[in-house]
Amino acid sequence: MSRTDRLEPGQAERLLREREKDWRKALRREISIQKRLAIERQPMPEQEPRVRIGNFKEVNLGYTLELARAEARRCLDCGQPGCVAGCPVAIDIPTFIKYIEAGELEKALEKIRETNGLPAICGRVCPQEVQCEKDCNLVRAGKAPVAIGHLERFVADYLCLREEAGAGISSSPELARRPEKIAVVGSGPGGLTAAADLARLGYRVTVFEALHLPGGVLAYGIPEFRLPREILQSEINFIKALGVEIKTNFIVGRTASLEDLRQDGYRAFFLGTGAGLPSFMNIPGENLLGVYSANEYLTRVNLMKGFRFPEFDTPVPRARRAAVIGGGNVAMDAVRTALRLGAEQATIFYRRSRAEMPARVEEVKHAEEEGIVFNFLTVPVRFLGNDRGQLRGMVLQRLALGEPDSSGRPRPVPIPGSEFEVEVDLAVVAIGQSPNPLLIKQLPGLKLGRWGNVEVDFQTMATSLPGIYAGGDAVRGGATVILAMGDGRRAARAIDEFLRKE
Amino acid sequence: MNRVVLSERLVPNLYRLVLEAPEVAAAARAGQFVMVIPDGKGERIPINLADWDRERGTVDLVFLNLGASTRKLAALKPGEAVEGLAGPLGRAPEVSGSGAVLLVGGCYGIGGLYPLARELKQAGRRVIFLAEARSPAYLYWEDRIKKYADEFLTLFREDCLGSGQNFKELVGEVISERPDIDLVMVMGCSYLLFKFSEATTGSGLKTLVSLNPIMVDGTGMCGACRVSVGGRTYFACVDGPWFEAGGLDWQEYFNRRKAFLFQEEQALARLDREFWKRME
Repeated sequence: MSRTDRLEPGQAERLLREREKDWRKALRREISIQKRLAIERQPMPEQEPRVRIGNFKEVNLGYTLELARAEARRCLDCGQPGCVAGCPVAIDIPTFIKYIEAGELEKALEKIRETNGLPAICGRVCPQEVQCEKDCNLVRAGKAPVAIGHLERFVADYLCLREEAGAGISSSPELARRPEKIAVVGSGPGGLTAAADLARLGYRVTVFEALHLPGGVLAYGIPEFRLPREILQSEINFIKALGVEIKTNFIVGRTASLEDLRQDGYRAFFLGTGAGLPSFMNIPGENLLGVYSANEYLTRVNLMKGFRFPEFDTPVPRARRAAVIGGGNVAMDAVRTALRLGAEQATIFYRRSRAEMPARVEEVKHAEEEGIVFNFLTVPVRFLGNDRGQLRGMVLQRLALGEPDSSGRPRPVPIPGSEFEVEVDLAVVAIGQSPNPLLIKQLPGLKLGRWGNVEVDFQTMATSLPGIYAGGDAVRGGATVILAMGDGRRAARAIDEFLRKE
Repeated sequence: MNRVVLSERLVPNLYRLVLEAPEVAAAARAGQFVMVIPDGKGERIPINLADWDRERGTVDLVFLNLGASTRKLAALKPGEAVEGLAGPLGRAPEVSGSGAVLLVGGCYGIGGLYPLARELKQAGRRVIFLAEARSPAYLYWEDRIKKYADEFLTLFREDCLGSGQNFKELVGEVISERPDIDLVMVMGCSYLLFKFSEATTGSGLKTLVSLNPIMVDGTGMCGACRVSVGGRTYFACVDGPWFEAGGLDWQEYFNRRKAFLFQEEQALARLDREFWKRME
């Protein structure tokens, strides 16, 4: 199967048409392939580990224009770009990179925004190594892939942080206003993408957010050292400038039911309610003081700005020895947060081995540089408390990897008699979340899957109820920002078709 | 932002705020709560709904001025606003049934139970309201509640001290004299809930307590409010706030409420300094 076979119909032709434009041909001729291959991948400038563990500022400082153009020159502008097929929203990656090489940054951003409403965010939080960068043809040539994520981030930062909200929108073709009102429930990446796409199609879109700030997991989950809040705010401002209304402090299912919204004239719904239900391990001692869900720990720090307590009122636990249980991005975020809040030792306990860790490669690298300790093949079996109900330690068990389980990863098997004790005064449980049941359990006839997730037709993101679509973690459990965005995009298209047919 | 329509001190240390929140007012049911954020740097704190007015689009909150957040709320004047208010949250308790209901309110719980008295009465049940307070000076809303309560009783701690009877005996009398009571609902400080639960344990009388653990989002997302009932963990914000008192792990509940005691004092001290500076 050729790499472009995975693309949507028409996409390969569009890519080719762009590639055959005269400026692209000229640019390809300017530097030989040999010379391009000789350029090394440009490293991302970072805050020094010793400095950054004392602050919540972003670790990656971003490319300069020079670095970005040097990196852009590494892209061979190949005829069968694997990168586009690896991107869940199929950004025309070669075109935007070649615009950078040509110094046309506005055009590069415009190209990205054709398919991605949140480039500054995706450039930072996407797992590029298993998506676009995985199938870069440079990898076949034995080289490091083009730093597509770093370039995407560069373009978005370079322009968005300078432009006023809404600048550049007027240049998009004026579309007919459509009278239908659409409700998007949840303002995370899935909801925001669906809202932006529907607004671009001319619909009147309202996003309902239960919390007091928009962004969903981007606001409460991802720490500022990975995603500065002014970046999130500028992306949200862009979406508002498209005409989307965001109603915060509005809990659909409590403040009003979906039926109430229907009575109010909303004709279609996108449920982007996320995976808000934290999983616990159900082991003894889990309700001791000092044991937190990752959701609570990170919400206190990120959404409530607890790291600036007492300037901000929400307190966060300060620990001497912090343990985080899990191996995903949430676990990395929690453990690095604990370190920044002053823990002398911050440790990851993960039940599989390094190879199975679902976290982004860059997060693991950053965590290691910062001095995070990794304990693989271990799982807590109980938490230990003192007489005031405070956590003082935990008992762990060692595991060995056995046969692959349903996820295809080797199943961890306990080793009898391998229990050992560690002293900790903070434990953060980051073993996953399941879909937030608050709204979806209230909808009679809505088909749910085994994990309480909303079942959909992945082509259209349509649920079992007409006019109701869903996407992101509400459908997938704990997935990624970009998959949620892809869902929002497909749902928007399907909602448009649904309303036109009605 | 939700504008303050009215702000008043009910009794020493207990305050009432009437806030604009038309959507919450429209959806409110007795026994539910809301999350309130006092200002841009504030915490999200749960406060019981003490009343609402669907026509005017307002909700009433009664709260104890205890920590930094409630102190900020108590200082608000009409025309000012809170940063945010979300709700109504929690499961509204079932009001249908035939027997009499004993509502026991202390502190903010006197106000918090007022809507339940109204709903229970409207559902045709006999309502006995027992207001618990330090002394008569701490009692409020007596007239309002009497409109819906068939009996209005008081229990003052200073009387307990003088009578030589303990709480359990006093409560036992109230209940044994009224055999038609088949449900007890208690709202107020943790100690009141605990003492009442002790007093009815073993009597077979269904006793529901409105728990008020630390919460962050209030929508089931974080698990800060987890409580153990009958050996199982529940989230008070979405599974509660009403739970059967008998099976609750009270020690754990008391512990968890104190999770941030030190920081709460720190925040309060800081706020007091700011308030002083503003007065100078």
